[in-house]
Amino acid sequence: MKLTDVKILFVGCILSTGVYFTSCKSKPKDTDTGSNIDTTAITAPAPATPAPVEIAADDSLTAGVKDATKDYPDVKADVSNGEITLTGEVKRSRLANLLMSLNSLKPKKINNQLTIK
Amino acid sequence: MALQDKYQELINAAKTSEVNNLQVREQQNVLYIDGVAPTGQVKDNLWSIYNKIDPDFRSGDLVMNINVSTMAPGAQATVTTDSSNLNIRKGPGTDQPLIGKAAHGSTVTLVSKTNDQWWLIRTANGEEGYAYAQYLTVA
Repeated sequence: MKLTDVKILFVGCILSTGVYFTSCKSKPKDTDTGSNIDTTAITAPAPATPAPVEIAADDSLTAGVKDATKDYPDVKADVSNGEITLTGEVKRSRLANLLMSLNSLKPKKINNQLTIK
Repeated sequence: MALQDKYQELINAAKTSEVNNLQVREQQNVLYIDGVAPTGQVKDNLWSIYNKIDPDFRSGDLVMNINVSTMAPGAQATVTTDSSNLNIRKGPGTDQPLIGKAAHGSTVTLVSKTNDQWWLIRTANGEEGYAYAQYLTVA
């Protein structure tokens, strides 16, 4: 009887060791890349929607407009909700240069109501 | 899309004259064209096409921000004011104190770009400070 108990214990030990190693074998390795994970769905290209246009805040627009119009004493510029509204007078020869400066300030819109001399 | 049709000649010119990072976007009835032109002439040409399509820039339906790639640190730029000398300031803004002048027509070195409006420059005399980019032209 005792020998049988020992045999059963021995066989049990072998079986459980087998289970232990088998379970270890199938354990996934730790990786940083997650290469075992199917990422097809995640990496599918997103639909090409262009980034929204960046509009400057009124504070920085006002400061930029002040710099840009400094040498145009007859030009008055108001800033509101991202829009620059120009009134007053400008020479035609200087209009494009003034607008190049203002267009680089990231305004939402420029309303040109200048009288052109 | 109507605005892109109106300014089609301008958009095509930007594409064919190799404007980099060209972005054409329409948002709330305003067309936004951004990009970096290879030369000042390309930028001027785009602005003259803009003026032809929309005389005196009256419509308020386009915001065009074209920089010039040759305006880069290390480049030599000419002071292209109307006739006066160019103010050099302590910081980037007309509220900053004047620290010097660069003569009309003189050559300065572009040191670094603060934003699209202001450059840190160095004159031939070694004076260093901020100047308004509109008055600087790289050949």
